[in-house]
Amino acid sequence: MAQKITIDPVTRIEGHLAVEVEIENGVVKSARSQGQMFRGFEVLLKGKDPRDASHVTDRVCGVCSGSHQWASALCLDDAFKANVPDGGRLIRNLILGAMYLHDHPLHFYHLSALDYIDVMAVAKYSGNDAGLNAVKDKIVALVKAGDTAPLTPRYKPDEFSVNDPDIVTPAVAHYLKALDIQAKAKKMAALLGGKIPHSAAIVVGGVTNLPDMQALDGFRSLLAEVKAFVEDVYVKDVVTFGTGPLLPLAKLGIGAGPGGYLAYGAFQNSSDKKDMLFPAGVITGGDITSVKEVDTEKIREYVGHSWYKDNEGLHPTEGKTEVDRDKAEGYSFIKAPRYDSNAMEVGPLSRMLVAKPAVLMDLITKYGIKPGAVARHAARAVETILVANAVEKWLNELTEMVAKGEIKVHDTNAWKVPDSAKGMGLTEAPRGALGHWINIQGTKIENYQLVVPSTWNLSPRDNKGNPGPVEKALEGVPVPDVNNPINVVRVIRSFDPCISCAVHIIEPDSNRILEFQIG
Amino acid sequence: MGILEELAAKEIKRRDFVKLCTAVAAAFSLPAGFAQDIALATEKAMKKPPVVWLEGQDCAGCSESLLSTINPSIAELVLDTLSIRYHETIMAGSGSVAERALEDTIKEGGYVLVLEGSIPKADDRFCMVGGRNFKDIFMEAAGKAAAIIGAGSCATLGGGIPGATPSQGRGAIEFVSDRSKVINLPTCPVKPSRLVATIMYFLTAGKAPALDQYNRPTAFYGTLIHDNCPRRNHFEKSYFLTDWNDPKQKDYCLLLKGCKGPKTYADCPQVWWNEGANWCIGAGAPCAGCSQPEYYAGFTPLYAKQDTIDAGKIDIDTIGEVAVGVAAVGAVVHGAVRLVAGKDKK
Repeated sequence: MAQKITIDPVTRIEGHLAVEVEIENGVVKSARSQGQMFRGFEVLLKGKDPRDASHVTDRVCGVCSGSHQWASALCLDDAFKANVPDGGRLIRNLILGAMYLHDHPLHFYHLSALDYIDVMAVAKYSGNDAGLNAVKDKIVALVKAGDTAPLTPRYKPDEFSVNDPDIVTPAVAHYLKALDIQAKAKKMAALLGGKIPHSAAIVVGGVTNLPDMQALDGFRSLLAEVKAFVEDVYVKDVVTFGTGPLLPLAKLGIGAGPGGYLAYGAFQNSSDKKDMLFPAGVITGGDITSVKEVDTEKIREYVGHSWYKDNEGLHPTEGKTEVDRDKAEGYSFIKAPRYDSNAMEVGPLSRMLVAKPAVLMDLITKYGIKPGAVARHAARAVETILVANAVEKWLNELTEMVAKGEIKVHDTNAWKVPDSAKGMGLTEAPRGALGHWINIQGTKIENYQLVVPSTWNLSPRDNKGNPGPVEKALEGVPVPDVNNPINVVRVIRSFDPCISCAVHIIEPDSNRILEFQIG
Repeated sequence: MGILEELAAKEIKRRDFVKLCTAVAAAFSLPAGFAQDIALATEKAMKKPPVVWLEGQDCAGCSESLLSTINPSIAELVLDTLSIRYHETIMAGSGSVAERALEDTIKEGGYVLVLEGSIPKADDRFCMVGGRNFKDIFMEAAGKAAAIIGAGSCATLGGGIPGATPSQGRGAIEFVSDRSKVINLPTCPVKPSRLVATIMYFLTAGKAPALDQYNRPTAFYGTLIHDNCPRRNHFEKSYFLTDWNDPKQKDYCLLLKGCKGPKTYADCPQVWWNEGANWCIGAGAPCAGCSQPEYYAGFTPLYAKQDTIDAGKIDIDTIGEVAVGVAAVGAVVHGAVRLVAGKDKK
């Protein structure tokens, strides 16, 4: 008999998400991803000064902070016909690049690693490394004091949980070190952006900050430390885990999405809009050998199973956000965007399958890794190196401009609000393809629509009943013990979701919620 | 580890800890000896003080902001200083495992409850966690909390940006019956130094620090940004920034770019963000006024010069005792701003 589990809240993600999975014979038969929060940014922006949009929309997410500000500024640049000077472009790249360096290690160590390691194995560490023994002492002291929150309670470790003290202890040491690193990466972004989360410097036309050498020197010394951590610790850990204890999961391709991958592209390397660190591209039907050009006209948002008034599927420029919380078929506040009717996975795996850097493709070929949860972690780690290298290059270019005193950061002519205009801003947040659309009428915002990465990844079924990427990825995931759906949360978190989640186990006949046992 | 090494390690730990306590004392302008009291009080409580952190209509930016703490390190804060029993973004458990941790802590009572994000007033179902209305979860946790901290603009006052949406997000203080339990720490996001210092102060003194009429600690929100702004002298001379590219204008006043500093009470000019890295005005961006109840609906358009720069909605008569003097000074300043703003129109 099929059993339904609802994981509510799914923790260690941003926002409120519930995921209901139906389990039959120990595997997930179907899943429903339920966005549990309505905020109404799009409605709020109606009638406002368009320049407010970059400030306001940044508040959509405080984790990938800066991404919305960037997308919104690009959207406004388009509408205002702004020519962002090179200095402005570089500073935007550096703020957002620093945020990638913050986001990806944070996601791996603090949001995901606890799903793969048995933290308590640290107590069995018997090596001589003083640093690792300090970690052991710390964890043992917490256990003795009877207060290990927030590391416990948790799901019971399963056969994929790493419990070798010689692997777990360094991983926990890196978990603690990464806390320091992610704060330093945010500090890098703040040096140029004013503060993080919610940088203040990115506006239509460029940035507000005319930097001096002191800020750039501060950025540079932090970059050296963060980059060293990414190369020597983070990427190595991901490879150690992915090609070691987690290789069986990787080879099975547990958590593979629908086979559609979308990347808008991001980080202009020069004034040429096509010269991107991350190229744009579309992959459909799982055929990664064929990368097509992105045609945004093929995007439609469906609300057949979302708590909004019904429509036949609208392009974001025509998008509507009219809540109908009582709709019987609805189960989510998330809309269902589709590209040419396909559910599309967005994020590091999509970007890297479009860009195909040799270091990742070699790993995939050598170990026979299939797209899925582990591949997502690997793609995320590989692109962090690409970003770290690019940030160094952009910093050098900016430093040269400042040294010569030849720096422009803002298109002064593009500050006046046009009477009527339309704009589109496409970029890549750490979590995936991000698009903003604006329609300005009478110098005010007539319509503003956002299609965010987690809308793509966590979308509910569309009008035809086709599942969204996470829903699809959960199908077939092994759950041998309904009381311990640890694989389900592993798959969900591999997408780095950006809405808060929820999980309970419900028996469909009685609707009784089963309680989890704390391991 | 030998006994000597252990002692040495402990001494270092303790020195770090006392350093933190000194920072807390300094933040609240407490006498020098008070740092020792804080250290003793916190150490005496053998158990780590429990913290429950609830996220309503939020963006996790305030959690992220807490994670920006470098000194003391966030690892120390999370593992050594506080016992964070429930926090959706960082905790290990999910689903019912997570929900039970919350239930158990609520049963115990006496915790510090931190609210991040707002509570929707228009329809309880606009924010659901664990199949329940977030409002009910919050109310239950608020009942047995020793103190309730509204962290960030959304969780305080007018509900920040969610406050301006159709969901009508509002802060903690709008829902709890005993308003004296509420300490508001607005700004978008919450500034970690204010949050940590407030929790430590509460644990030591057993009561909230001096608050203004919006339940904001006067230590952090007692002065106008405008009064302490390093660009103030340029304002006095009517040097206003019009072009972000011009090196001459780099430190000019941002009034024409919409700066809300003349209406905003916060310590941002003195205590910068991300361990002293920078602040909005430092990056050439106008203050958005995120520590004020007017934020956001009352302060839009953010990037246009305010038509009238005056005391506006700030109620000078009812503002907390400590802030009266400051507000009076502010009112004089506002008069000056009006004058200058008029001059600018010519």
